Amino acid sequence: MNEELDSQLSAMFDDELAAAECELLARRLSRDGELKARWERYAVIAAAIRAERGVRLNARVARRVSVIVGSEPALAGQSTPRRIAGRWLRPAAGLGLAAGVAAVSILWLRAQAPPGAVVATPPLAAVPAARVTAPAVAPAASPRASGPDSYVLPPAARGAAAVVPATELANYVVAHSMFSSPVARRNLLSAFMSSEPGDAGTIPVSTDAKSNAR
Amino acid sequence: MGADASDLSLVRRVQRGDKGAFDALVLKYQHKLVKLVMRYVRNPAEAEDIAQEAFIKAYRALPQFRGDSAFYTWLYRIAINTAKNAVVSRDRSPIEYNIDRNGEESYDMQGRMKDSETPEALVLTDEIRSIVNAAIDALPEDLRTAIVLRELEGLSYEEIAAAMDCPVGTVRSRIFRAREAIDRRLREVFEGGLGRAEELG
Repeated sequence: MNEELDSQLSAMFDDELAAAECELLARRLSRDGELKARWERYAVIAAAIRAERGVRLNARVARRVSVIVGSEPALAGQSTPRRIAGRWLRPAAGLGLAAGVAAVSILWLRAQAPPGAVVATPPLAAVPAARVTAPAVAPAASPRASGPDSYVLPPAARGAAAVVPATELANYVVAHSMFSSPVARRNLLSAFMSSEPGDAGTIPVSTDAKSNAR
Repeated sequence: MGADASDLSLVRRVQRGDKGAFDALVLKYQHKLVKLVMRYVRNPAEAEDIAQEAFIKAYRALPQFRGDSAFYTWLYRIAINTAKNAVVSRDRSPIEYNIDRNGEESYDMQGRMKDSETPEALVLTDEIRSIVNAAIDALPEDLRTAIVLRELEGLSYEEIAAAMDCPVGTVRSRIFRAREAIDRRLREVFEGGLGRAEELG
């Protein structure tokens, strides 16, 4: 046996060999029975010097593990895909799902509004689902006649109080920003702002609405 | 020298499908792991069974091992959990603590019976220890100090070099020569080696 090789093996056993040399020696160690026998004796010597009480210096464990591992499938090809899947696919799928749900919800809400009507959406958490799914159209002459279930502003109030849905939707998107990507979020917000006139974040009250309130 | 580079190179080989590299890891750590498990179970045969189970679990979990911690640290955690589970399931088992017909606890008896299955293992262990101790006593002082500081105190080559006031390369050479001298005595007594790892190769 090559003395330099044995010296390297001794250093590798102590974890004192350079990584590049370890790579080469590990390859040889896994195939060379004589080298493996020497490696085992180094382990036996170490255990004997430490005088580990109760530990029997036999190879029973190693032999049985080797037999069981020999009957198992090799690990090649299992590590990388599973690791990538675990680290990236799950969060990406979550983001995609959240973005999809948000987009469908927004499109659906908009589709529910009659043409020309502006849907005034109260904060979503405070709205029962039935109200959202069944918006009523208010008579043009009497905006309050539809009662509290109506979320459609009268045409008279439309011009001045048109920013409410955009604001609410923007608040919703911001409140759930953890589920969407920054780019998708920015696009949605700018779409809201550009689609509705008025100042974002404020709810202007028309003079008609004020007079109705009185 | 990369810390854990040796184990990591073997682990990477196992992850690429080289089962022989796993044999090397088992050979290196089997005694340490059995000793660790014996903190939880006193019976050597039971400790070996648990260590074996821990190694198998580690092999199956190796695709998930990324090398964030040292391999032995990772293996250590698996072994501890396996040992704890084994103790819990054994404690739940009524057989282990049954009182036999003569009113004696069967637990210790079972332990003795397991031990008596392999008396040659105990003889072999004692024999190996006495050979190793005699071989260490016969070593020159510098070799003996180097191998004892390494194996008994667990010092790194750099720390041994500082303690012995010599270059790291000299420490590496001294430890290797000490091991070779001890190994030569072992092979003389056991006629060409312990002859067990060859079976795994």
